[in-house]
Amino acid sequence: MTNLTATRNEQIENYLTGLDGALKGVRREERDEILREIRTHILDSLPDNPQAGVEPVLRALGAPERLAEQYQTEFLLTQASHSFSPWLLLSTAWRWANTGVRGFAVFMVSIVGYVMALGFLVTVLLKPFFPDRIGLWVGHGNFVFGATGPRAGVHEVLGSLYIPVTMLLAFGTAVGTTHALRWLMRTRRRLAH
Amino acid sequence: MALNSNGDRGQHWEAQLRKGSLEMAILSILWKGRLYGLEILRCLADKSQLQVAEGTAYPILARLKAEGLLQSEWVEAEAGHPRKYYWLTPSGRRRAQEMAEGWKDFSASLAVLVEPVLRGK
Repeated sequence: MTNLTATRNEQIENYLTGLDGALKGVRREERDEILREIRTHILDSLPDNPQAGVEPVLRALGAPERLAEQYQTEFLLTQASHSFSPWLLLSTAWRWANTGVRGFAVFMVSIVGYVMALGFLVTVLLKPFFPDRIGLWVGHGNFVFGATGPRAGVHEVLGSLYIPVTMLLAFGTAVGTTHALRWLMRTRRRLAH
Repeated sequence: MALNSNGDRGQHWEAQLRKGSLEMAILSILWKGRLYGLEILRCLADKSQLQVAEGTAYPILARLKAEGLLQSEWVEAEAGHPRKYYWLTPSGRRRAQEMAEGWKDFSASLAVLVEPVLRGK
């Protein structure tokens, strides 16, 4: 009986060690709380018979990696939907993208939005060095925003306003993308659960 | 083949429906008082048809707590180890009420729609 109990305890410890390792990215104190709760769940779920195995209980919880993935997604989506950090929003969108088409679409929205904002910003930084090549060019059915080579029949319309206008555009695109992602993540949480 | 396909779709739809109502079910179960994780799971299984995978319920409880809808506390138990009890915060109670009212309206309007289908049984 002692051997059985020792084996059972070893299996529980192995499961929790696996879960701890798979919970990368979750804060230490949250991780400890999760491990404590799952340990309690396993102990409470064990049948009274001390000879009964722990396998059915662990099977019902699912593989440690799968359980950790669900915690990570929940935590990340909660944090990200309240965050204004593009990095956190992007990394969460990436994790979500690996779970399905909707997640992938959201990830693409985030990439397009932030890359556009970054592109605007780059042209602002380059404008003082290449004043004749960067601007808003119109004419003869052409409309080019950003960098372009010399073309016949087009002229630049923003002039010295290019930098403030484009900075506003970069800021607006980044803020718009951030708000769209936060909204999509909040909506996802309600839809998924 | 067609029957199988319909059956699979039906099961998928039912699974989505159950999953979608899980948050409301957990908040409703905690309406009357404090419960720990396993008690919540057992209530879900006994009082509803929501046979929830255990690995699904705990991350949701953690999220609901992170959102400020639930509060929790470790309490020493006779079992020899402490248990983590959950209860609704004031905003959790508000959310539970909103969801319950929304659900009541939604199910009532759908009931009208499906009544002829059920009568045609």
